[in-house]
Amino acid sequence: MVEDKELMLGKRVPVEKIESELHLLWAADEARTNASLMNLAVYSECESALVDNAAIVREITREHACRALLIALDKKSEEPSVSSWVTANCHLAHGQKSVCCEQIAFSLTGHSRGRFRNTIFAHVQSDLPLIFWWQGNLSPIFNESLYRRIDRFVIDSSSWDNPVEQFDQACEAVDKVNLVVQDLSWTRTYHFRLAVAALFDDPTLLKFQDKVEQVKLVVHPDNLISGLQLIAWFATMAGWERSQDLISDKDDVGSYRFSSKSGNLVDVEITTDEQSAAIGTLEVKSGETVVSITREAGGKYLRQQLKNGAHEIDVHGLADSDSMADLVTDQLSRGGKNSLFKRVLPMFMELLKSK
Amino acid sequence: MLCPSMSNPFREDLVSRARPEACSVVIFGATGDLTHRKLIPALYNLAIDGELPTGVKIIGFARREKSDDVYREGLRELNEEVSRNGHDPEIWKDFENSIEYHQSEFQDEDGYKRLAERLEAIDAERGGKGNRLFYVASAPEYFDDILINLKKAGLNESVDGCWSRVIVEKPFGTDLASAQHLNQVVNQTFEEKDTYRIDHYLGKETAQNIMVLRFANAIFEPLWNNRYIEQIQITCSEHLGMEGGRGGYYDNAGALRDMVQNHLLQLLSLVAMEPPTDLSADGVRDEKVKVIRSLRQWDTPELVSENVVRGQYTAGHVHGKSVVGYTEEDRVDPESMTETYVALRCMVDTWRWSGVPFYIRMGKRLPKKATEISVHFKAPPNVLFNASHSEADEGNVLVIRIQPDEGISLRMVSKLPGTSLRLEPVKMDFQYSTSFGKGSPEAYERLLLDAMAGDATLFARRDEVEEAWKFIDHIHNGWKHNNESATPEMAEFVAGSWGPEEADNLLVKDGNTWRRL
Repeated sequence: MVEDKELMLGKRVPVEKIESELHLLWAADEARTNASLMNLAVYSECESALVDNAAIVREITREHACRALLIALDKKSEEPSVSSWVTANCHLAHGQKSVCCEQIAFSLTGHSRGRFRNTIFAHVQSDLPLIFWWQGNLSPIFNESLYRRIDRFVIDSSSWDNPVEQFDQACEAVDKVNLVVQDLSWTRTYHFRLAVAALFDDPTLLKFQDKVEQVKLVVHPDNLISGLQLIAWFATMAGWERSQDLISDKDDVGSYRFSSKSGNLVDVEITTDEQSAAIGTLEVKSGETVVSITREAGGKYLRQQLKNGAHEIDVHGLADSDSMADLVTDQLSRGGKNSLFKRVLPMFMELLKSK
Repeated sequence: MLCPSMSNPFREDLVSRARPEACSVVIFGATGDLTHRKLIPALYNLAIDGELPTGVKIIGFARREKSDDVYREGLRELNEEVSRNGHDPEIWKDFENSIEYHQSEFQDEDGYKRLAERLEAIDAERGGKGNRLFYVASAPEYFDDILINLKKAGLNESVDGCWSRVIVEKPFGTDLASAQHLNQVVNQTFEEKDTYRIDHYLGKETAQNIMVLRFANAIFEPLWNNRYIEQIQITCSEHLGMEGGRGGYYDNAGALRDMVQNHLLQLLSLVAMEPPTDLSADGVRDEKVKVIRSLRQWDTPELVSENVVRGQYTAGHVHGKSVVGYTEEDRVDPESMTETYVALRCMVDTWRWSGVPFYIRMGKRLPKKATEISVHFKAPPNVLFNASHSEADEGNVLVIRIQPDEGISLRMVSKLPGTSLRLEPVKMDFQYSTSFGKGSPEAYERLLLDAMAGDATLFARRDEVEEAWKFIDHIHNGWKHNNESATPEMAEFVAGSWGPEEADNLLVKDGNTWRRL
């Protein structure tokens, strides 16, 4: 573990010498380019996460030049302490130039009011946006004095113990300071959403969304939140409203009922399956018309099918990656204010709370 | 009636751009290099990125006899070589199923009737009428035939709310008269709003960023005028010569027609335009055409002689290799008077740019490949630091690198560390490759999507093209002048150098020099 740490986290340095040690790092090799477009803070309350996160950040920096701040906080320890390391993640850009990004790692123990914030914010590069990736459950450290300074807040709600309570906390921040929340559960639905949009480009499906009778979704049990978000998105975009839900007698099935713009009732069923990919199947039906998107567990592609009488489409598209580094990389590439997620959030919260 | 309300609610907010609509794309000149190297890989990469609407059909129209399978195989081979996102066999398998080959002579009316039937069958399979996008990528001598025959076959008509659009590749004419003729033929076939004259430079990320740089940053626009800017230079340098049999085409075109009339004047208009009232296609193009219209015309041989230098490369060395002179190149007339290098001093007669020279240079067989725009600001007043230190006399230079090494740099003056007061120029540099790791989409990807979405902002409008030809024609007429004493000479320069001495002298007259690249 100690060796791993030194390898992944770099040189151990006193906190007050972080910046000067970073300068020495650059002075040692003039051929390298120091690049930074953002501050990426990765926070975990699991002490051992530092090494894993260093590996993820190394992958992210292939596409996103940033100053990475890795933070692990062990709140259980009684003795307050701070250890820090500095290193640079370097990659060859276009096979020519060595482009490097600074990485500072902090291991904090014990609880001390304001220490966490002060330590981190002292090492944020000025003028660059701060993207804060919070891993695990939101804790009391997630408060206004922290999130007010954050430009984008990345979470993975699939890891939360109590999603309703945690989402309420996140929504409060959205309401208070217009925090841009980027949920990796939502990111996992991206290519599914893209595939739905692509299939519905087909002229024969022009009025289909108003005639949909049934939607079936199969997800992995760990990705139920992604499933709910996908359904919430579909319903929001199609202009559906909640209706009296059906009651399912099975534990692994969630049933919901919507009414479409023209008043048709739409039954939605979400099933969890241990053998499924994160999102395994989305099937939308109306009479003989079937739109389905499927992904094998571990598969690289989405199979996109449309059957509308004699008219059939059967094509493959890329699926969302299961790798955490890829998901965060994709999310950072998209940027923006995440307005679509905000638009879908009310319907998602309604579905989540009714479960 | 499937096209009028093509709204797909699931596309909303997914991507922040106008939404492309499903259509059949017919490419004329389907066996050519452009189709294999640029168009098909662009469409494939859009498919990989999930940006290509489902149901897009691609029909390659060309003269050679080929089966669908043989045609697809040829496309696959090159896609493996050049695709930006690499080649994924699984995705390609689906993608190539959307490609068909249509054999016909461009002049054969019957071939277009068969094409119409084929497109109708595709539409019927999809449940009704469909949109059509015709891409004219053939040799320019067939443009007329293609457009006229499309009209005869009724393929130009937008029916039942579906659209029919045409993309026309360069060269868009060879002079004002031919451009006007072509515009007439195009506009007799398609409405101007359905006509997309492609200039792939406008699809480049860095070219699109010019407007963002100017109008989204408050620090530049207040200085973007003749009070603060001394001169602007636009350079397009190529190290290649006439490889791959290009001499045949080039010897009839020359640097001025091949690059300046379209790409470089488009860059100039982006740099010099006034802020548009909005970002609509006509909002932007209205402002761009005003710039071209405001170019001072060099309409006598004397004025051409004073403001334009043309040249040809002679044998020399490029990248350490011996290369022949232009007139010894394959498929080039040994007596050729075609310019491989041109340098212009342009004046934009507007309030903003009065007195500011815009220098444009373009050449083959120069030391390296580079396209850039450099904005040279006036030096600060000759007091304080400038009184005794000549380094500070050089004003700030803002460089927009179009390709390669895309980015923006700003040169400024700084004090050298030490006890004495010495000044040196330093550079602040932004590079796309280090700031944004993700590769930019190819220009053709963006432009094809825009055409499918009906967004003509990055395409040239009829009046832009004609105004540019008007400016270029005056120079050509000056070169062709019968009076030998007044006819500007053809300068020579050694291949691998930065062009003829005469081009340097063009700037010396104004007290300027070309920027060293």
